[in-house]
Amino acid sequence: MKTFAYVLLFSGVAIIVVSSWAALWLRGVLVRLHYLSPVTTIGAPLIGISLLVVRGWGLATGLILLTVLLISASGPAIAVATARVITQREGVTPSKSPE
Amino acid sequence: MNPATPWYLASIILLLGSLVPALLLSARHGPVDRLVGLSLGGSVGVLTGLLLSQAYGQSAYLIVPFVLAVLAVTGVLVYTRLLGPR
Repeated sequence: MKTFAYVLLFSGVAIIVVSSWAALWLRGVLVRLHYLSPVTTIGAPLIGISLLVVRGWGLATGLILLTVLLISASGPAIAVATARVITQREGVTPSKSPE
Repeated sequence: MNPATPWYLASIILLLGSLVPALLLSARHGPVDRLVGLSLGGSVGVLTGLLLSQAYGQSAYLIVPFVLAVLAVTGVLVYTRLLGPR
């Protein structure tokens, strides 16, 4: 069971490391924004599940899962908000908020 | 020392290595690139905090990444408002 947890842990870490360096290496802010998504939607849940497998259910595990859920749920919202800023600065979308 | 600690320390070192691109993005490029770097750094910092808590076996440390997660998300959303056209 611990081997499974380590596989999950290092899979998540590998995804985060590759995405981070790819975000730096590739040009264009929209491309960079795409490489932010695997960190929050794949890497973070993999690490959270790995910690869940190791620790079992409990109060501390609940806090870990809450933290991971917060990151994972906010990732797409941050990506959309940042992409909207990019298009607003380029004049593609109007600057007013949608009513 | 917990026998699993070296594995966690190795993963923490790898995660700290992925903080380098976030810091470089935050320091060198345009405003929105810096925002992407800030968001990346916040997420990686939160996960590093979770693994540090697990490596040292201290559940009380979990409050740090939790608060950081809340503040990082809020901070990035505030910056998206500030960086938009007036």
